[in-house]
Order: sequence, then structure tokens, then C-alpha cells
Amino acid sequence: MAFVTPFLLFLIVFQYIPIGMLVRNSFFDYTLLRPDDQKFVGLGQFERILADPSVTSTFGVTLLFALGVLVLVVPLGFLVAVFLNGRFPGRSIVRTIVFLPVVTSVAVTSTMWLFMLTKNGGLVNSAITGLGLQPVAFLTSIPWALISIIVMSAWQQIGFAAVLFLTGLQSVPDDVIEAARVDGASRARVIFSIILPLMSRTTLFVVITMTVFSLQAFAPAFLMTSGGPEDSTSLVVYAIYNAAFKLQDPGFASALAVAVMFIALVLSGIQSLFLRTKWSY
Amino acid sequence: MAVRARRGVFRLSRAAVTVAVIAIVVIAFLLPYLWILSSSFKDQSTIFSDVSPLSWKTFWPTEGSLANYFSTIETKNVGRAMLNSVIIAVLQVIFTLVLGSLAAFGLTRIKFRGSGLLFGLILVTFLVPMEALVVPLYAWMGDLHLRNSLVAVFLPWIASPFALFMLRQAFEEIPTELDEAAYIDGAGPFRVFWSVILPSVRSTVVGCGLVVFLFSWNSFLWPLVVNSSSAQQVIQVAVAQSAAPGQLPNWGETFAGAMIATLPLILIFLFAQRHIVQGLASSGLK
Repeated sequence: MAFVTPFLLFLIVFQYIPIGMLVRNSFFDYTLLRPDDQKFVGLGQFERILADPSVTSTFGVTLLFALGVLVLVVPLGFLVAVFLNGRFPGRSIVRTIVFLPVVTSVAVTSTMWLFMLTKNGGLVNSAITGLGLQPVAFLTSIPWALISIIVMSAWQQIGFAAVLFLTGLQSVPDDVIEAARVDGASRARVIFSIILPLMSRTTLFVVITMTVFSLQAFAPAFLMTSGGPEDSTSLVVYAIYNAAFKLQDPGFASALAVAVMFIALVLSGIQSLFLRTKWSY
Repeated sequence: MAVRARRGVFRLSRAAVTVAVIAIVVIAFLLPYLWILSSSFKDQSTIFSDVSPLSWKTFWPTEGSLANYFSTIETKNVGRAMLNSVIIAVLQVIFTLVLGSLAAFGLTRIKFRGSGLLFGLILVTFLVPMEALVVPLYAWMGDLHLRNSLVAVFLPWIASPFALFMLRQAFEEIPTELDEAAYIDGAGPFRVFWSVILPSVRSTVVGCGLVVFLFSWNSFLWPLVVNSSSAQQVIQVAVAQSAAPGQLPNWGETFAGAMIATLPLILIFLFAQRHIVQGLASSGLK
């Protein structure tokens, strides 16, 4: 017990107490400038979340963002993993390159993509005009702004998903695949009828991990689009940040954060429920 | 004959697919870095003239200079921010490993009633997104008079459930006969922890430390919130360029800053790739 105590002490002070404060604050109305002047409002802040369409939309935006990231990351991450699982010259270099964005900070990748997607002088629009097309206002128009932060985030996470899939792929027994090949199954058939079903557990893990990641995303909205245009990229953590530190409404921010915490716990609950079930193939 | 020809075509098409995939990967994942890196050596007007039309010059500095690096270090206080980030990351790694390995030892080696329940309570915090705690932690740091200090940036995260989880798994794989032998030889529990257990989990400790370093170095939201004065700013906050209207950014300087913030990690990554990839894969993101 003595060995666990220091860890536990810090955990209580910096995790459990803040969680308690968070839940408590979500029932109050106050400002960070005058934290002592608080008014108990019960479930008022949560009613505001449900009543105010501009707030409800932040969850809608986050949901769209998460779906967009999933649609790109899951299939592409899987393809990259299948590719990296094969033998070819330069494989380790390709793996390193795909993984570079994973170890680059989201502040830097957001800044990078901000400049790549800028209308005047950005790398992507230069390629588009080079093809004879009109430049696109990627970061300042609907729905391009949301698409842009989705693509940037997916770009950053594909390498991570690929590594997770690769771990799963390497646990698929070789003899099963060989038996199928001997029976005359094509490569595509092997992937779709054998490897994919065997990978359902890994896929669920990737899906949950990426959903939780999307729920936590902040920097793309903060740095690339400032939540705009018209709040179309106002991710929920960005909305929390704005409510607490810009609009001086930490009670409301706390209610939003409680909702985020609740969603994350539900997602993790689903995950552990599925991962614990013994799946027979 | 026909079979051999078909096999040849098959091989050829496979090679073509491989080359195509490698080309796509390089274009999608490497070109952005090359553009930023090469542009960081150019002045503003050269960046614009080189980007359109696209050519090899877009990704290569023909008349490069380090001017952007010098000016970004001067104007954005990047030197100070680098030092801050190094101090924070190193201290965070040390404290996280100390607390985590002690706790992992306590949970796996010295059985006590309720240790399973305790581990469960610790793991629950693993599931709470750190982003949700930013607002109460900010107020809490104010109460503790820690705001605007380097300590504030790492202190809340050193009791890391991720580190504990990773270390605990490694600790459990060590046979208990090893510690029993040491106890018979008269060693105390701390001695067993230090000279028997820790040396046998060295590679996990290194991997865990590297991942914690990565998280610490790359964190953005919390340092942005908790430290408003530039003296305690970390590198990621110092170099990030926002799209806030009314700002006319200097492209070259911004790119130089981004490179300064990224290169140390890329170097570490290139040397310790296996450790970092394995550690991250076991972390599931947090």
C-alpha cells in the first residue's frame, strides 16, 4: 500500500477532486473573474444545452467530425496496414513516413494545414489552379471548413490506425489464410471473407479510439478555422474553451464538459463490454 | 508458357501497385513536411513565387538562408519556450515513471485487500478525457497558486493511469520466484523493487518514458490555458499560428517555428521508433 500511496495522492488531488469540482460547477452560474459570486441554478445549464440550438449544434458538428474521421481513417488505415503487412523494398521507410504525423503535435499539423489550405498561396490551391480549376476557400466556407479539419485530422491519425490494424493482422493465423489460398480463394476474397471478420475486434477498438479522439479534438478548430464560418466547425471542446475562457461562463462550460465526460464513459463502456465477450469464429 | 507469362504480368502489376502506393504515401504524407521545411529557408516573396506554379522549386530552397530561424527565435521567444518544454517534458517523464512504477510494484507484488478495487478506481480516470477537466483544473491551479508556472503544466498528469497500466502489465510477467529468492537473501521490499524488478522491465520503462515525453512535448490545450505569460510558454503554444482574422503572418517564420517544435521529436522517433510505436499502440491514444 505504501508504494501506491504517492500515485494515489496525486490522482485524488488532480483527477478526482477536479472531476468533483466539474460536476458541482455544472450546477452553478458564475464567472472565472469573480468565482465567489455564484448562483445555484440546478439543472439550468443542462437545460440551456438542450434548448439553445447553437449549442446543440456543437454536438452535431462534433458528431459529423467524428463520422468523417471514421469514414476516412478506418478503411485507409486498414489498407495501409494490409500494405505494410506485405513484403516489399522500402517497407520500413513507408511505415516511418506514414507515422510521422502521429508523432507531430496537433498544433504543428494544424498550422501546417492552415497554410496548405489557404486560398492565396496555399499548396493545395496552387495544385488546383495548376489543373486549371478555380481556387477553393477551404477554411472559410461551408461545408469546406469542416471537411478540411476532418481531412487534416484523418491524415494525422491514419498511421496510428494502421499500426493498430497491423497488430491485429499479425495475430491472424497464417495457416487459415494458406488453407484458403490452397482452396483457390483470391487475394480480395481472403481479405473480405477471412481477414476482415477476424479483425472485427481490432476494428471496434480503432472505431472507439478514433471516436474518443474526435470528441477531444480542439486545436484544428482553434487554429485553422476559429470555429467558423458560422460555428460550422465549432467542435465541443472548442465550445468549452470559448464558454469558459472567452465568454466567462464556466458553469455552462462545466455542463458541456460533463456531457463530454459522460459520452466518453459510455463509449469506453461499450468497448469493454465487447472486448470482454469471447467471440468465437 | 502461358502460365509463366501470366505470372510475369501478375508480378509486374503487383510491382506497379506497390510503386503507386508508395508514390501516394510520399505525396500525401511527406510533401507537406518538405514544403514547410524548404519554405522555412525562404523569404516571404520567394515562398509565394515558388508555390505557384508547382515545380521542384516548391519543395527545395534554391537560395536558402536561416534568417527565418533567427527572427522567429527572437520575436516569439522560441529559445525560452524550447527550454520550458524540455524542462517540463523531462520532469514529467521522471515523476510519471517514479509514481507509476512504485504503484505498479505495490499493486502486483504486495497483495493487500482491495487492490483489485483500487486498480479499478484508478483505471476509471483513464477513461475521463483530459479536455473535460481543463476548466476545473484551471480554477484549482489558481487556488493552489500554481498558475503561470512550469510545474502547473505537468503536475496534474504525473499520476498517469496509462503509465501505471503499461508498467503493471510488464511487472506481472516477472516470475514471483525472483523476488522470493531476494527476500530469502534478506532484501527489503524497496531493495527488491530497485534491484530485482526494475532492471527486468527496463525496455517497458524506456517505452513508457518515451510515450510520456511525446505526450508532454506535444500537449497544447492545457499549457495554452494554464500559462498566460510568455515566460512560461511551451514551444507548441509559441509556434502555433492561428487563423484569427486581422493577423498577417510571416509564413517563413511560422514554418521555421513549426520545424523547431517538431524536429527534436522526429529525431527521437527515428532512433526509438519501435519503442514509441509499441508504446502508443498499447496506450490507445491517451
